Amino acid sequence: MHTKKLTWPNSAWAILYKDLLCEFRTRYALGTLTMFTLVTLSGISMTLAGAAISSSIAAMLLWIILFFCAMAGLARTFVYEQEAGTLFTLRLYANGQAVLAGKLLFNILLLQLVTALLIPLFLIFLNIEVHLWGQLVYVLFFGTVGVAAVATLTAFMVSCTNAKGSLFTVITFPLLLPQFLTAIAATEQILTDMIPSWNECFFLAGYDATVIAAASLLFDYLWYD
Amino acid sequence: MLNHRISNIITALAAVGVIYAVFFIVPPVEGLGEKVRIVFFHIPAAWISVMAFVLSALWALRYLNTHQIEYDRKSATAAGLGFFFCLLATISGALFAKITWGAYWNWDPRQTTIFILLLLYGASFALRTAIHDIDQRAKISSAYSLLSIVVMPFLVFVIPRYYSSLHPSPVINSAAKIAMDPVMLYTLIAALLVASALFRQLFIYYIERTRRRDLAQKDSPEGGGRL
Amino acid sequence: MEHSVTVELVDVTKYYENKCLFRNISKKLLPGECLTVTGPNGSGKSTLLKIISGLVKTSSGKINLRCNANRLISPCERAKYIGFVSPELVFYKSLTGYENIDFIAKASGMAALPEFIMASLQRVGLSGQAHEPVINYSTGMRQRLKFALLLVLNPPLWLLDEPSSNLDTAGKKLVADLIHKALTRSTSIILATNEAEEANYAHQKINLA
Repeated sequence: MHTKKLTWPNSAWAILYKDLLCEFRTRYALGTLTMFTLVTLSGISMTLAGAAISSSIAAMLLWIILFFCAMAGLARTFVYEQEAGTLFTLRLYANGQAVLAGKLLFNILLLQLVTALLIPLFLIFLNIEVHLWGQLVYVLFFGTVGVAAVATLTAFMVSCTNAKGSLFTVITFPLLLPQFLTAIAATEQILTDMIPSWNECFFLAGYDATVIAAASLLFDYLWYD
Repeated sequence: MLNHRISNIITALAAVGVIYAVFFIVPPVEGLGEKVRIVFFHIPAAWISVMAFVLSALWALRYLNTHQIEYDRKSATAAGLGFFFCLLATISGALFAKITWGAYWNWDPRQTTIFILLLLYGASFALRTAIHDIDQRAKISSAYSLLSIVVMPFLVFVIPRYYSSLHPSPVINSAAKIAMDPVMLYTLIAALLVASALFRQLFIYYIERTRRRDLAQKDSPEGGGRL
Repeated sequence: MEHSVTVELVDVTKYYENKCLFRNISKKLLPGECLTVTGPNGSGKSTLLKIISGLVKTSSGKINLRCNANRLISPCERAKYIGFVSPELVFYKSLTGYENIDFIAKASGMAALPEFIMASLQRVGLSGQAHEPVINYSTGMRQRLKFALLLVLNPPLWLLDEPSSNLDTAGKKLVADLIHKALTRSTSIILATNEAEEANYAHQKINLA
């Protein structure tokens, strides 16, 4: 035989690989997001002009920057497929769960990369010291996974409409609020050198798991007519 | 429909009865005085807005399983009415907050929750209006409705933990004891029933109206009038 | 070929924005048969093919695809049985022709050997451009690439929407050869066309007026 069967996780890897390859060749999303991060961060830092801010405000600013970065970049996964016309090809041939998993992994990776870029700059510009690195990484990781999970599903919804950019933020924000508030509270504690309670860590991971499960259940309804 | 008309009349009479009870039978409460009367509008409105949210999601689920546009119509109508009641609950809540605590809005946990509910309703309308194809619209807004009901329990869990609340504890508190004057309690139950009946009547009315409109649209092109 | 596909159209009706495109189409297509769909522009040929592919819903009626004449194929597994050559089938512009085919095959749940992909590209006359990004392809070359994809996926049901559009004489002959060969290997073909020559393959016809 010239061909052999693949299971859907393999197809998901193929979709992730394709997205990475396209991204590597065009460097569109990462370039835009990097600049977006820099612009917002320098804007905040400049207006503060060296004034010290409380850890609650710092935590809030960090997550607001992350949220708007996600809004600026994550819709693209599906919207560019729709605009280039390749969504037809993908819907014709690709398995729904594989598409969701591939796109979700791509979005998680992208957001993690942006976070990795943002955090050092954020700490330097706003003159913040962190001692609980492990906890911070945990909160950032699970926080952004939740953002990516909700955004991947809403991005597909938005790609089917005729009002893309603004609508994406409008429909994603209320869904993300619980995660958002918890992540801010946990980050605030970390910045004041307090270890966040188990409840919060559990909540962040639980929210991610729930949203990913719900997205997986709902996506087939959206993908197949 | 005769049936609908009769139940309309019954609902209207019951509403008048409850309003009379609220203003003339319920005694003023110690500490709150006459202001307590607003509670009998606020609690039912809040109750309906949550119930409509759940109903809308249930119909959304049925739509996704059956693909019958009828269920989407129900889901959308429930969401529309839910939004209206949610707005009423928010406004009456803000008024109550002003006269008892001195400020219309202070991001009290329950205010935050109802505000997010309002945002979710608003977001689902924005999504609806952005899609033209009927089946596509039904499918996507159903999925959104279900996703938001999955997220809702997290809100209920998370918010009260981060803000201290001034909101009176729920009527049936954690010890499952009912701490209320019996007259007030019965009036409140009656108010909840009337609000539910009002929701039902409005729901039936709007469903009939959209169904007629959809049918009229579907039939007209056969006659040659396509536009 | 491992499988064959029988296509049943049962009272298929489609409205588009309140306009009736077609109504109560019923047909049964057996493996190795060709069904042609003809009709003027805007008569719904492409829509009918998209309905059969499962990308568009019927307003009423249904499509049954049966594997080996008995088992019903569910919507999630349709992709494995269908190959669609359509003007709307668009490739990823920043990927090469080879990468596009490799990716689409993997996304649909099968890994194709590199030699097999190259052989298919050679069959449609693209072996020289296999490693060039699709953005550099002409429209005719993109059309040929769609057939290379079809050869790699080798599905038992072909949906061809204007298959020889944008092709030169040699390209048209290639398409004719491919269709002819596929029919002898009991592939079911549904062909939407306005070209008299292609309409000649038909065992059955639908004319959308």
